[in-house]
Amino acid sequence: MNRVIATCIKELKLLAHDRTGITVLFLMPMMLVVIMTLIQNEAYKSLNESGIPVLLVNYDLDSLGYAIERGFAENPMCDLTLDHGEQFASIDKVREKVLHGEYLIALIIPSGATERLRTELGQMMDSYLDGDSAISVEQAFSQVEFQIITDPLARESFVMAMSSGLKEVIASIKTKVFFQIVTSKINGVLGTSNEVKFPDDDFFVFEESSAAAGAAESYEPNAVQHNVPAWAIFSIFFIVLPLAGSMISERTTGVYVRMHTFPGSYIMILSGKIITYICIALLQFLIVLALGKFLLPLMGLPILHIGTHWGALAVLTLAVSVTAVGYGFLIGTVFDTPQQSAIFGGISVLIMSALGGIWVPLNIMPEHMQQIANISPLNWALKGYYELFIKSGGWAEIQWQVLKLTLFFVLSVSLSYYFHKIKRSLA
Amino acid sequence: MRSKIFVSTQLGFYYVRGETQVNPCIFMLDTHSIVISNLSKHYRGTSQDALRAINLKISSGEVFGLLGPNGAGKTTFFSILCGLIYPSDGEVSLAGMSIASNLKSIKQIIGVVPQEIALYPTLSGEDNLLFIGRMYGLKGTKLKERVQSCLDDFGFDQNRRQAVKNYSGGMKRKINLIAGILHQPKVLLLDEPTVGIDVHARKEILAQLRQLNQQEGTTIIYTSHHMEEAEQFCDRVAIIDEGQLITTGVPETMVSVANCRSLEELFLQHTGKKIRD
Repeated sequence: MNRVIATCIKELKLLAHDRTGITVLFLMPMMLVVIMTLIQNEAYKSLNESGIPVLLVNYDLDSLGYAIERGFAENPMCDLTLDHGEQFASIDKVREKVLHGEYLIALIIPSGATERLRTELGQMMDSYLDGDSAISVEQAFSQVEFQIITDPLARESFVMAMSSGLKEVIASIKTKVFFQIVTSKINGVLGTSNEVKFPDDDFFVFEESSAAAGAAESYEPNAVQHNVPAWAIFSIFFIVLPLAGSMISERTTGVYVRMHTFPGSYIMILSGKIITYICIALLQFLIVLALGKFLLPLMGLPILHIGTHWGALAVLTLAVSVTAVGYGFLIGTVFDTPQQSAIFGGISVLIMSALGGIWVPLNIMPEHMQQIANISPLNWALKGYYELFIKSGGWAEIQWQVLKLTLFFVLSVSLSYYFHKIKRSLA
Repeated sequence: MRSKIFVSTQLGFYYVRGETQVNPCIFMLDTHSIVISNLSKHYRGTSQDALRAINLKISSGEVFGLLGPNGAGKTTFFSILCGLIYPSDGEVSLAGMSIASNLKSIKQIIGVVPQEIALYPTLSGEDNLLFIGRMYGLKGTKLKERVQSCLDDFGFDQNRRQAVKNYSGGMKRKINLIAGILHQPKVLLLDEPTVGIDVHARKEILAQLRQLNQQEGTTIIYTSHHMEEAEQFCDRVAIIDEGQLITTGVPETMVSVANCRSLEELFLQHTGKKIRD
C-alpha cells in the first residue's frame, strides 16, 4: 500500500509541474463549458423562450384572418409581428424581409378569404336545402390561396410544423363558419332566430406529461443541462493525453527500467497511477458540475439540476472516469512516442465526442447518426447523465450504461496487457 | 593513481601506496556472491545469440567490471541480472537464490543504476529520491534522513530542490547513482555510471562507490567503456564479445600475462579494432 501511495504522490507532483497538462485537464473544460453553454443557450432560447420570428400579414381583416392572428399570438414558439397591409402592401416586400433574415417565416392571408368561405359554404347549404344532391364539396369550393414564405435557411421540419399548425387553425375556423351558416339556414327554414354559440374551447383536449421516471421532477432540456455533463465527459476523456504521455515518457526513459527493478509487483505501481488519474477525473467532474451549479447562473444562464440520486451519479461518474483511464492506458501502451499518442488520443476522443452527441445534442442529429452514436462510450456516459439530470432517473435507468462503460474499461485493459506482452516479448 | 597488485581476489590482498592491506569485504561470509551458470539469451527474430553459455562467479564484496565493445551483450547481461528479461537458458543465482524463482526477494537486495538517467526530469532531485526510497519500502524519518545523508555525501546543497532537468550532466549522474544505493543494497549493478561526465564528477562518483564497497561490503558489478577507469576501479574484470565470455581476471594480472601495456591494449587484442556500430 505504501508503494501505491508513493506512486500517487509522485503522479500528483508530476502533474503539478506540468502546466500544459493542468490546462488540458482543468482550464480547457471550464472554458468549453462556459463558451459552449453561452453559444447554445441562444439557440435553445430562440426555441424555448423568445420564439421564432414570424410575420403575419392579414389582408382579410375578418373572422378567418383574426382567428389565425389569435392562433399565432397564443403560440409560445412564435415571436409574432402583425401587419394589416400598412407596412407590407405587396408580397415582394414581405419576401425581401424574409430573405434578409428578419423573419424565419411569413404568412399572407389574402383579402376576402373569410367572405369567400362564407359565400362558398352558403351556396353549398342552399343547394343542399334545395334538394340538389349532386353537388359535392369539391364543386362547392373554389380554393383560397394562402402564401407562406420561408427563410431558405429554415429547416424543412419547422416549415412543415408551421404549415400543419396553420391548417389546424383554418380547419377550426372553417368549422365555426360552417356551424354559423347551418344555424342561420335552419333558422330561415324554421322561422326562428335562435343563436347557438359555438364553444371556443376545443372538444378534444390534450394533457401533456413527461414520460420521465419522476415526471414531476423532470427538467426541460436546455443548454446547461446538455453542456455541463457533455463537457465534463469530454474533459474526463481528455485525461487520455497526459496519462498516455506519462506512460510513454516513463517507458522511453530509464525510469521504466528502474520501475521494473523495484521490489513488489509492477501492477502496484500501475494501480497508483490508475487511482491518481481516476481521482483527477472525479475532481474535473466536480469542478465542471460546480460551474453549472454556481457560476453559470451568475452569467444569466439556467441553473444546473443534477437530480436527487447521488449514489447513481457517483457510480456513473466513477464508471466514466475508469473507462477514460482504461482508454488512456491502451493508448499509452500501443503507441511508442508521446507525439503519436497525443495525436491519436486527441483525435479519437474528438471523433468519439462528436459521434457521441457532445458537440451537437443527439436529438437534432439525423436518425442514422443517432444509431452510429451508440458505439461511442461518450454517448453511453451522456445518456446516463441525461437520465439522471433531465429525466430524474436513478440506478435502474443508468445500470445498462454503467455496464457498457465497465466492459469498455475491461476491454481496454485487456488489450493493453496483450500489447504490453507482445512488446516485451519483442524487446 | 592508485598502484594496486592483486595476489588473489579470493584471498583479498591488495597493495596500496606501498602497504599490503586486506580488503575486509572479501573475508566476509560469501552470502551475496553471484553465480552465473551457462547463461544464454536469444532474442526472437535474430539469428545470433545475444549471450552464449556464460559462466561466472562474482564474490561477495567484489568490484567486478564487465567490458565489451558495443553490441557485445553487456546490456543483455545487465538486464538479466536486474530481472528485466529472462534468459533463454542457464541460471543466475544470488546468495544461493535463483533470480528466476526469487526475483521479489532479490530485488530488495540489489540496487540498479541504468545507463540512462532514470529520473523524472520535472521533479527535484530530492523528490525523485523520496519516491524511489518509498518504492524500496523506506518511509518516514528514516527515509528523509537517508535521502539527506546521501545528498550531503554527494555534495548537494540547495540545488537538491531544483528540477532534475536543470542539473548538469554530473549532477544527474550523481542523483541517478544515489537512487540505486538509497536502500543500501548488498549488490549494486551499474551500467556505465560515469558516461558523459567530466573528470571531476567521475572521480567523485568512483570515490563514493569505492567507499560504499569498503564500508558496507557492497558487491559492485559495473559496465564501462573506460578501460583506464575499469583498471583502477575493479577488483576483477571480464571481457565479453559477441555474447561470449572472452577472458576474466584481475586487470593487472591479465595485462602482464598478455604482455600488454594497458587493459585497453588487452581489450583491443581480444576484440579487434573493427568499428562495431
